[in-house]
Amino acid sequence: MAEQIDIDLRAAINAVSDVVQNRPRPLREFDQIFMKTGDMVLQSELVARWSNGKRLAFIGDGDAIGLCVAHLHNGGIINYGPAEMVVFDFDERVCSAVTRFADRERLESLRAVLYNCLDAFPGPTDFDCFYTNPPWGASNDGESVKVFVQRGMEATGYGGEGMVVIADDLELEWPKQVLANVQEYAIASGFFVQKMMPRLHSYHLDDNPDLRSCNLIFKALRRAPSSVESSAIMDEARLANFYGRENPPRVRYVRERKRVDYGKAHEDEYSFDLLGE
Amino acid sequence: MADIIKPGTGLVYMKVGTHARETLADIIKRKTQEIEETGHGFWGYGGSTCHPLRMVQPFAREHQRRDGVIYLCMEPMESRHFAEPVRAEEYSADGVSWVEVPPSINVLGSRYALVIQNLREEEFELPLERTTVALGNSMGARGSRYVSGRVDKACLEVADDAPSMTAKSVRIGLVADIVEPYAVLLRNKPR
Repeated sequence: MAEQIDIDLRAAINAVSDVVQNRPRPLREFDQIFMKTGDMVLQSELVARWSNGKRLAFIGDGDAIGLCVAHLHNGGIINYGPAEMVVFDFDERVCSAVTRFADRERLESLRAVLYNCLDAFPGPTDFDCFYTNPPWGASNDGESVKVFVQRGMEATGYGGEGMVVIADDLELEWPKQVLANVQEYAIASGFFVQKMMPRLHSYHLDDNPDLRSCNLIFKALRRAPSSVESSAIMDEARLANFYGRENPPRVRYVRERKRVDYGKAHEDEYSFDLLGE
Repeated sequence: MADIIKPGTGLVYMKVGTHARETLADIIKRKTQEIEETGHGFWGYGGSTCHPLRMVQPFAREHQRRDGVIYLCMEPMESRHFAEPVRAEEYSADGVSWVEVPPSINVLGSRYALVIQNLREEEFELPLERTTVALGNSMGARGSRYVSGRVDKACLEVADDAPSMTAKSVRIGLVADIVEPYAVLLRNKPR
């Protein structure tokens, strides 16, 4: 991990503000719940430091942490960051937001691939590390988390590191159960828990505004990536409660309705009363 | 209503009051007429704590299989909620297929609606301390703790290990039966 440096906080917040301004609105039915901006600043700096000089795969990135990392690094606000990042997301709006922003800001290290994690991982599988903030699995004992983590592990050929962002609460039972199940799954897959950073992040989450998430950092026991045979996830038991109780996945991709005036107020939202009428 | 407050029972709790510039009495009168004319009514609401597809439908399906009727228990309150009284024109039970809201139903200023029958004024104490949140990110939390601040509605189960009936209660004043498809999404017609 790179050495942490003092950063210009105002510049960092404004850089993340650029990203937030560019981000599509969340779809709650797919558990797209966005991290609060202050936590995004700190998380992006951490991710940049953790993945310094490496190739990083994001398995889903509605929060746009990838863009924040690239923008902070490219803008010279931090002097460390990954060498290459690929965002894999099933929401074309998220992928387009990455592509659009990266093009505008000349972020050469970042690209996006439209991909649903229920399908076989398209590769490459030689990333050094992966990052995921998946659906947290309150109703499926963490099965949805495990699916995203599985794809992350495949992206590293089961030979890298992973940062998994999941719910962490002192009082509720389900986050403890999910944390235990995910760690058990990672260990069974040849990884160990390298670090756990408890209750770090807050969210725009109106059914539990106090619920935090942690960073769970895994590292593979194996040093070098191995060949991976990825396959689609068809097991109904794994999928039955994927997006919440009795809410299995039914959408392969969220498609973007293209607009020439992206980012501007939609004309459905307003009309004009003209002067002199 | 004592049968509502027994272990395992599921209910949707909601605070209700003035909404979209209508008094509660006016809303009750209008909804009762809707139910008479249509066979069911739409009870509009907002927020994401009781999302129709992610929360209410799976919760209601499970409890209907188990217990039969799902109750909507409403606590009347003074409200300063003055949403714009924009009428929803289409509804969807799955987020994919959208159909026109029947002319006899008017849901104003709401993104979601519960599908109800048998709306009636009925008064009883509901001890939220004896309930837990049934699903979602706060699953397992006590109802009394969950329903606070901005959270004013919840899918709750009456708990087995409930404290005594003397626990702090809320005063329910309005009850309805929630019927299939339990809850729907609302929107204006795309232009």
